[in-house]
Amino acid sequence: MNEPRENIIVIGGAVVAVLLQILLAPHIAIMSIVPNFIMAFVLTVSVLRPTNLTPAFAFVLGLLYDLMGNSAVGAMAFMLVLVSFAAQKVFTVLNNDTMFMPILVIVVATFVAEIGYAIFMMVTGVGVGFVDAFVYRALPCTLYNSVLALICYPLMARLLSGGNFKKKGAGHSDMTIIR
Amino acid sequence: MPFNLQNNSPTSTKRVLLAIFLVIPLIMVTLYAREGEGGPLHSVQNAVGGVIAPVQFVGSQAGAATETVGNAVTDATADAETLSQLRERNAELTNLVAQTEEYKQEVERLQELLNFKQAYNLEGIGAHIIGRSTDAWNQTITIDVGSSDGVATGLTVMDASGVVGQIIETTPGTSRVRLLTDPQSGAAALIQSNRAEGVVRGSLDGLLYLENIDADVEVEVGDLVLTSGLGGSYTRGLLIGQVVKIEGNVGDAARRIVVSPNSVVHATEEVIVVADATDSTSSANEDSSEG
Repeated sequence: MNEPRENIIVIGGAVVAVLLQILLAPHIAIMSIVPNFIMAFVLTVSVLRPTNLTPAFAFVLGLLYDLMGNSAVGAMAFMLVLVSFAAQKVFTVLNNDTMFMPILVIVVATFVAEIGYAIFMMVTGVGVGFVDAFVYRALPCTLYNSVLALICYPLMARLLSGGNFKKKGAGHSDMTIIR
Repeated sequence: MPFNLQNNSPTSTKRVLLAIFLVIPLIMVTLYAREGEGGPLHSVQNAVGGVIAPVQFVGSQAGAATETVGNAVTDATADAETLSQLRERNAELTNLVAQTEEYKQEVERLQELLNFKQAYNLEGIGAHIIGRSTDAWNQTITIDVGSSDGVATGLTVMDASGVVGQIIETTPGTSRVRLLTDPQSGAAALIQSNRAEGVVRGSLDGLLYLENIDADVEVEVGDLVLTSGLGGSYTRGLLIGQVVKIEGNVGDAARRIVVSPNSVVHATEEVIVVADATDSTSSANEDSSEG
């Protein structure tokens, strides 16, 4: 284990995720569906490298996302804290050292986060019904963010495992797992 | 000493931390929903928007520059292979032509804007779009003029083909515009042919819906929809779009009228912030009397 190195990778990854959200995400939106690099990164790290500070990490990045946009401040922060914690716990139980399980957990977590965020948006004044919110935002956003997470997960797993990701399969077994 | 993020604290500490990080955002959401536009959370959000706007601008410029550099590298590689000065010169000229074409297109777009401004007798401030929304729930753009240029919240923003949206936030150097297609947008509107008044609203599916039109008013596909100026939220008499679909018949209270926006914002680079509403009102009246 090389904790300082891993910390640097995670913090560096967070900075990159925020920059991508500002610089790249608006330009690769499809039909107004803007990808959420921050969500993909937080959920990936929650599954790959859960720590005591995961909620703080999710809170800070979620808050940054809220402040960069025009929606209710705190909504994404709340959803990321809640969902990253739940994903971390679920994965700890379900981990079977295959690539499938972390991906499944991340995709489901993304879906839950998007649904929760949609409910926040409806409650805080975006005048849309739940069906519209689900069909036109939550579902396509889940798909887009899942694709990002599918790219982000192996990349982060490889970086955090120091290049041993392929040999270890899911890349999780050689890391500190919080149970 | 490097900080340790690993699990070495009791479960109760973890639970307390989790609870804190769940409660704080909930309090923030509640405050945000209750406070006005000038509240502290809105102000912080506005300030952050002002900070990231130049970054977004640099990002969009960097994207264009990267493309140019990529082309230049390709050309340079070919030159190295052939060692031909003629080809180098050719590459330079090609770049020059591309640059000139870019300037030409910008001049044409600005000319269109100018013509539009003159046609409507608008007093306005020209602006470049320097950023777009970073999330899926808000359809906004950021422009490079702000309160120091005289831009204020509530002003109408247009491009050469019609209404784009409305200023919702300003910093000294930038402003954020909520697009008409955003579900939180609503513009008082009228149908040019029969002067029936209603409200045009955006939606998540990207269409505009004309609502609150009397059930007995006859509406036809192709009718032009303009801002009515009621309530003062948008400048009167500006083109929003045209009716493209009517779901339901005359007399049907649940009739839905779909309006296609005239302006295609994702293809727009320059806009006008309309500062003076007076002249466009008279222009709209002239238009209607001619019609």
